[in-house]
Amino acid sequence: MIRFRRIHKAFDEPVLTGVDLVVREGEMFGLFGPSGTGKSVLLKTTIGLIVPDRGDVLLDGESVYFGDPGFLDRVRRRIGYVFQHAALFDSMSVFENVCMGIAEDDLRRMKRKEACGRAWEALELVNLEPRQVLNKLPAELSGGMKKRVGIARAIVGRPDILLWDEPTTGLDPVNTAAVERLIDRLSGELEVTSMIVTHDIEGGLIMCDRVAMLSAGTLQFCGTPEDFRKSTDPVVRAFADRAGAEAALDNQLKVI
Amino acid sequence: MLGWAVLRSMVRLRVSSREILNQIHIMGVQSIPIVLVTAVLAGIVTSQQGGYQFTGTIPLYVMGSVVVESVVLELGPVLTAVVLVGRIGARITAELGTMKVSEQMDALYSVGRDPVAMLATPRIIAGVIVVPILTAMAVIVGIIAGQISAQLTLGLGWEAFFYGARLFWHNWDMVYSLTKAVVFGLAIPVISIHMGFRTKGGAAGVGRTTTASVMFMTLTILILDALFPPLLLQ
Repeated sequence: MIRFRRIHKAFDEPVLTGVDLVVREGEMFGLFGPSGTGKSVLLKTTIGLIVPDRGDVLLDGESVYFGDPGFLDRVRRRIGYVFQHAALFDSMSVFENVCMGIAEDDLRRMKRKEACGRAWEALELVNLEPRQVLNKLPAELSGGMKKRVGIARAIVGRPDILLWDEPTTGLDPVNTAAVERLIDRLSGELEVTSMIVTHDIEGGLIMCDRVAMLSAGTLQFCGTPEDFRKSTDPVVRAFADRAGAEAALDNQLKVI
Repeated sequence: MLGWAVLRSMVRLRVSSREILNQIHIMGVQSIPIVLVTAVLAGIVTSQQGGYQFTGTIPLYVMGSVVVESVVLELGPVLTAVVLVGRIGARITAELGTMKVSEQMDALYSVGRDPVAMLATPRIIAGVIVVPILTAMAVIVGIIAGQISAQLTLGLGWEAFFYGARLFWHNWDMVYSLTKAVVFGLAIPVISIHMGFRTKGGAAGVGRTTTASVMFMTLTILILDALFPPLLLQ
């Protein structure tokens, strides 16, 4: 279980102002909100990529920021993080990129054959043909393939939590649907807790057990997809209607 | 902070020897041509200018001393360092800066890796190893080029050239030259890595930081160079 407790974060201006949120074990949790409302910032506080100014993140009751100093390292081994633009290491092959997802100590103990097997298995899970991509560099892959390699890197370490930062951004409708099916399938097969930040409201509402919406750095909504659809909160409604219209237009443009 | 993190990664033996060798290849072996071309030209120019000034006024064998001392004390280490600022320093800042703005650095943290141990320490170790070696090569090649130039344009034979060189030679000069090279070899990667790690603002940010890094490294080299004589040549 991930508990965000009164998270505050400001850069030049306040981004998060006292966000309280709980992601339950085993659920798929969606986080929506207009751009710049701190969704990715909140996600990054989970593994210390961004440190909150105030507040704390608790993982299974243990504090990420105020507990054992080594806890953050252990947290990172338990969590797979899928970046918005895949963030693959340019100078490494797909095989090396995926192997980076295996804990350093484990990787040192492993024989190359075993590491290769793990990478192979992870690539198959994300519907990539390992034989074709294993030795390629990220620059030789399409956008959709890069995302899948990024997902393979996140799952190869067998995490029990997966964090997805806008995994479908920049993809065409076909790839968006494929990646969403993949997220749904992986979360079920791997029995992980998932937290997904997305602009694809419809996809998120279909996939997620519960969703939340951030607005101006605060939590505007938290509940089931059904509650979100029925919400009469004007801020939620305005966002959902605008996002729906933008998604429809975006899809039309991509098809053209 | 960077220095502390680098020391910690070295103490914990978290540095990959394969990556150090890779960096030695990139920073050292691949820099040999440009360093040697620069050294040859520096040797020739020193010899030519010396010839222009000394002919008819001072015994020409003094040329040997002028060329050798200039190349050993100043031109060898400083020109090599300035060339490496462009060749190595700019590359490191741009590479790490791009990793920073494209979230690759965050990705390293997310998979539990230490970017300092993976990216900074091997480059710093490689810098401290390769810059003195490249400087020693530049010194030797620069002197040989200066002597050949003096022979071809002034008719100064190698015996007279090296007779002049020995007149003012101190063994300490080579220690001084290599000490400079070690310090420059530390300064270039440390500054370029520091700048790369603090890059922000997308592609434009990488460009801005790389330019600032090159300016800062060049100035640092020249300031350190000015500090060496009062510290080590008194």
